[in-house]
Amino acid sequence: MTVASVDQAPAAGSDRAAGCSQKELVWQSGKLRLYRYRPIARPTRGVPLLVVYALVNRPYMMDLQEDRSLIRGLLAEGLDVYLIDWGYPDGADRFTTLADYIDQHLAGCVQQVLKTRRLRAVNLLGVCQGGVLSLCFSALHPQLVRNLITMVTPVDFHTPADLLSKWVSKIDVAAWVNDGNVSGDALNQLFLSLMPFRLTQQKYVDLLAGSPDRARIENFMRVEQWIFDSPDQAGAAFLEFVTWFYQENRLAQNRLEIAGRKVDLRALRLPMLNLIGKRDHLVPPAASAALQRLVGSSDYTMLEFDLGHIGMYISARAQREVPAAIANWLAAR
Amino acid sequence: MDHDLWRQWQALLALWVPGRPDSQAGFGRDAAFGFTPIRDVAERFTAAARSFLDGAANASAPAAGEAALAFSDFLREQFADFHLPGSPGFGAGNGSRSAFTGDSPALGPTREHQQRWQRMADASRRIADAQHRLQRLWSDALREAAAAFTARLVPPQPTAVSAQALRQLYDSWIDCAEDAYARMAHGDAFCNSLADYVNASSQWRQELQASIEHWAKLLDLPTRSEINTLTQRLRGVEELLRSAREQRKPRVKASRVRPARRKLRSRRKARP
Repeated sequence: MTVASVDQAPAAGSDRAAGCSQKELVWQSGKLRLYRYRPIARPTRGVPLLVVYALVNRPYMMDLQEDRSLIRGLLAEGLDVYLIDWGYPDGADRFTTLADYIDQHLAGCVQQVLKTRRLRAVNLLGVCQGGVLSLCFSALHPQLVRNLITMVTPVDFHTPADLLSKWVSKIDVAAWVNDGNVSGDALNQLFLSLMPFRLTQQKYVDLLAGSPDRARIENFMRVEQWIFDSPDQAGAAFLEFVTWFYQENRLAQNRLEIAGRKVDLRALRLPMLNLIGKRDHLVPPAASAALQRLVGSSDYTMLEFDLGHIGMYISARAQREVPAAIANWLAAR
Repeated sequence: MDHDLWRQWQALLALWVPGRPDSQAGFGRDAAFGFTPIRDVAERFTAAARSFLDGAANASAPAAGEAALAFSDFLREQFADFHLPGSPGFGAGNGSRSAFTGDSPALGPTREHQQRWQRMADASRRIADAQHRLQRLWSDALREAAAAFTARLVPPQPTAVSAQALRQLYDSWIDCAEDAYARMAHGDAFCNSLADYVNASSQWRQELQASIEHWAKLLDLPTRSEINTLTQRLRGVEELLRSAREQRKPRVKASRVRPARRKLRSRRKARP
């Protein structure tokens, strides 16, 4: 890779966009790719863990670099890990709906894992928006999910601290989407606007003022690359997600339907682990914690970490604690 | 990659600390274009903070208060044009009144076009209005932030002016600014203005798309509407195909099972 100037520095980690751990493509459908990670420790769990990442960012944040990889941590715990890469939607995907993502793409991945591993149910790890998709899938196909783990996942979208929800409450989302896709750049601007001074000023001053340590700069650049590597959003799915979840809060009010079928969280009886970042500015802790009162599972565990949204993926503390927490919880079931 | 990153960092450092020998690393100042606005803001902040610290350290209480006030005013002015990402600067309205703002009735063969341009002009006006309200809220938040920051300022000891002190001041300013911004951003006035801005921008874009489609049709060029229609038809065909596959699945299973049963029956018959 040749990068000759400082202003191109954020691209320096571009070869990391695929993640750092070895994996193989096991299935693909359109732009979707399903990967299976090669084990780095003796597998100790029979049921694979399928990681369902969000649509709004790229999944390599889960495997950014060797010492900052939740995937690697899970592999080291002996888990058999699969990951869905949704790809980059383009104009031809503008009419892709949430039902398509859940009933075709996600369901296709689950079926593929079950078929190749000759199993009846898989373990799901839904991350952020991917957690919402996983909840919906589990409610619609409970027989296919053995254990469900959600991580920094919003469930109640109308908690007081939810700034995104307040902002979109009066926006005409249908007019915004207008039968097209929603630009990833526009979403980035929205996310930056949540804390504009810190995210557009202070963090760069921190970078410049800190010690010129090579590893520190590389870490920064990789995260920077990930933050702004935002796929456009399929218009129809985006419209549904913002309208049904952010504006109407249907999931928390138990009146969500996907393709005409009710997503009844109260009917969820499977074991559930909910991982929350106490300092999450994107998904307020209360928005995630609401899951407990909404599901019917008697085997519900909530773990809070004193971390922010991104810290839940890449902080040193997350590397130490999150994979172990997941592995221990699964081992007990 | 590692080597490149290292060189980038050295160049970056050279730009941030011009006196360093690394500044001859072969990278021009233009290389740090992406960081220039951030660096400029930070440098201006540093200069103002240093001025405050130098002045306040040796001054009497009233003079120190004046220095703090001057610093506060600087912050308000400095960040006044620090636009909210994603809102002002969209360029659709730019606050200017379009030539198509007339309220005269649309008549004649171009009636539809006149109405479209009038709707665009109206959307532009609403964009500009929303931008103005957002800018005002932004200014209010900055005033609040500056006041909170000024209240935190303590005249330093003469020996206390250091890079660390400057950094602490900067971080303190960021804390005050974020707190004030958060209070504003959670408020109804901001949410309403933001929604007005986005909604007006959406309408402006829709009208422009419709206008462009009109001219594309005249020139027999493909339009987004046509592509959307084709995409929807393709989705319909894909759905039919999926349904057909689903319906075939049980038959496939049955056909696989039957020979086995036949074999079993034939074996049973063969037994004495």
